[in-house]
Amino acid sequence: MADKKHKKVLGSLQPDVEDILSWNDLPANAFEPASTQEKAGFIQDRKSVSYWKDAWRRLRKNKVAMIALVIIILLALFAFVGPMIVPYSYDEVIPGANNIHPWHYTLEDQEKLSEAQMTPDEAVAAAEAEAAVEGRTLTSVEIATIRAKAKVNSSNTDVEALKQELGIKAKPFGYTNDELQRMADGEFVFPHVFGCDIQGRDIMVRTMVGARVSMIVGICCALIVLVIGALYGSISGYCGGKVDAVMQRIVEIIYTIPEVLVILLLGATLKPIFEEFQNSGDGPLQRLVTVLGPNLISIFIAFGMLYWVTMSRIIRGQILQLKQQEYVTAARALGAKGGRIISRHLLPNCVGQIVTTTFLQIPSAIFTESFLSFLGMGVSAPMTSLGSMCADALSGLTSYPYRLFIPAAILSVMILCLNLFGDGLRDALDPRLKK
Amino acid sequence: MAKYILKRVLMAVITLFVVICLTFFLMNAVPGSPWLSERSPSQATIDALNAKYGLDKPVIVQLGMYLNDLLHLDFRDSIKMQKDRPVLDIIANMFPISAKIGVISILWAILVGVPLGCLAAYRRGTWVDSLLRVISTVGISMPGFVVATLLLHTLTGGLPGVNLFPATFVASDWRSYVLPCLSLGFYPMCYLSRQTRTAMLDSISQEYIKTARAKGLKNGKIIFKHALRNALIPVITYLGPQIAFTLCGGFVVETVFTIPGLGRYFVQSITNRDYPLIMGTTIFLAAFIIIMNLVVDLLYKLVDPRINLSKGGD
Repeated sequence: MADKKHKKVLGSLQPDVEDILSWNDLPANAFEPASTQEKAGFIQDRKSVSYWKDAWRRLRKNKVAMIALVIIILLALFAFVGPMIVPYSYDEVIPGANNIHPWHYTLEDQEKLSEAQMTPDEAVAAAEAEAAVEGRTLTSVEIATIRAKAKVNSSNTDVEALKQELGIKAKPFGYTNDELQRMADGEFVFPHVFGCDIQGRDIMVRTMVGARVSMIVGICCALIVLVIGALYGSISGYCGGKVDAVMQRIVEIIYTIPEVLVILLLGATLKPIFEEFQNSGDGPLQRLVTVLGPNLISIFIAFGMLYWVTMSRIIRGQILQLKQQEYVTAARALGAKGGRIISRHLLPNCVGQIVTTTFLQIPSAIFTESFLSFLGMGVSAPMTSLGSMCADALSGLTSYPYRLFIPAAILSVMILCLNLFGDGLRDALDPRLKK
Repeated sequence: MAKYILKRVLMAVITLFVVICLTFFLMNAVPGSPWLSERSPSQATIDALNAKYGLDKPVIVQLGMYLNDLLHLDFRDSIKMQKDRPVLDIIANMFPISAKIGVISILWAILVGVPLGCLAAYRRGTWVDSLLRVISTVGISMPGFVVATLLLHTLTGGLPGVNLFPATFVASDWRSYVLPCLSLGFYPMCYLSRQTRTAMLDSISQEYIKTARAKGLKNGKIIFKHALRNALIPVITYLGPQIAFTLCGGFVVETVFTIPGLGRYFVQSITNRDYPLIMGTTIFLAAFIIIMNLVVDLLYKLVDPRINLSKGGD
């Protein structure tokens, strides 16, 4: 039999049996426990980098995104902590504060100004009264001087020029006269940094509350979109076949519905329904509605019902790719059910996409909310939002332009920073860059 | 191809039907009625009015009646805002103004946005690119009403000495159109330039651009003929619905500049609960947007013959 040894044909890929048998020739010490030195050699020099740590490291290097993050945090402090510090509330009408500017003139300056604007007769009367207090009468020369001075001043109707002439300058922050008096008495009065609106409500507090509303709307809408979109997209992608086809047709229909139209209508529809619900009893759900406000909830729902479509499409695409992977087959072979495979294996593997899409939903929700509020379809009075503040400011635009620019600037900066940070987040989490 | 078009048209009809039903139910779910105004009428009057316009019937019956009217191309008459005037007539009256502003806005947005995007992609990494990127990022972060009110304030006399345009809208004065069109087109312009830049970067790095360059073609020809044509798909995708939307619904811009257009009228009709008018404007806008979506899908084939339409979107 020995001469019948298998002859290997040149170029054959058949493995040499002898060779394979020799694989088992292990060294004598193969089954001895490893020495401590050998063990130490297996420990990696540096800690393994987790996905999130890696992403965070990349994100930290992105200067623009980090600056945006800092501004977002500052804005969040402004919106959430600010109203606790400022002693006014957003619907509090401060007596005598109607239309005050974010600057003020001291009481002395105001007195000087009104003195300068007196008619000759009034000036003489005032001077005589002053002299009477001091116990003397005015000479006719003095009276004539006062009269002449007052005549010149009162003929000068340009208040701005008069202020310049008297050296009166505006001091920052707005105060009512009453508050100035109290300050003169040594009391601490919190300034109206941005002035007050036509009803005498502090604009700064309203801006803070408005920014808070915008942020809450953004975050809640993003969460609703995340839940619906992830659920719908993963089921559609995982099940495939007929289920997928039907679900995708529904998505297509919702996709083509003009969203702004429906949001406008939905907002108008849901608000009174929730108001009714709020007044219907005193259960925990009703209290929740009261805390958030019926109009905010209706905005959430209107957004949630329309904007999940994009999210579901992205997740479906990812799932379609991922479900062909071996680990899914392995999980299925081990008897895992669909729900478990989706939640434990598929979704965690597209977490980067999910986080980015969810985050970028926040600025877009804020954008739409401000637009709704501006048209008067968003939050209703006395609650405020940045959009409705802008709409309110429109009527007095020429006299009080800052009332428009302050909320508009905060809104734009907020959306800008969220967009920039979202872009940075996408770059950091994108697995394609990870190589 | 024909099968695909048929399928898409069918889809469009279904979508429109869904929108109509949705709007109808939503609208009727809003509490309040068109008859409540400052001088609230007596209950008898309200009942009589409800009976006259069929508002006393169950919603589903009303919907059936409305759909029946629609099939006969009857959009009914306005019941409140311009009482007893046909809705179609009102739309025909309002739409031209909105469309005029919309066409100008979208035109300047395309004519400026797309070339700027090309320029940014072509000069990638230079200061031109950075500057354009800053402008477009800021642009897409500013809500329409912010841009509109800023322009309104600064250019109509808010800044001392700058009074270039009239603050109130006069349909016959061309200067009245400048600011609304500027503000309406600003967002699409910025968005388009971003989209174009991304798509152009993608297509510039392809092999055929290298080939074109090796052939000794001029830069302009490479950019506009070879690169841009292949970068147009995402641009068209965005443009389709956007055109429809800009044409009929400058909601915000029409409110800010008090333009008597369709968008403003739509918002007013909701607050006034003028049911036939809400339905009429919604159907009009929705149909327009849906048709534009359809046109875009068919345009894909024209722009890029490699796209296989019959296989569907994915």
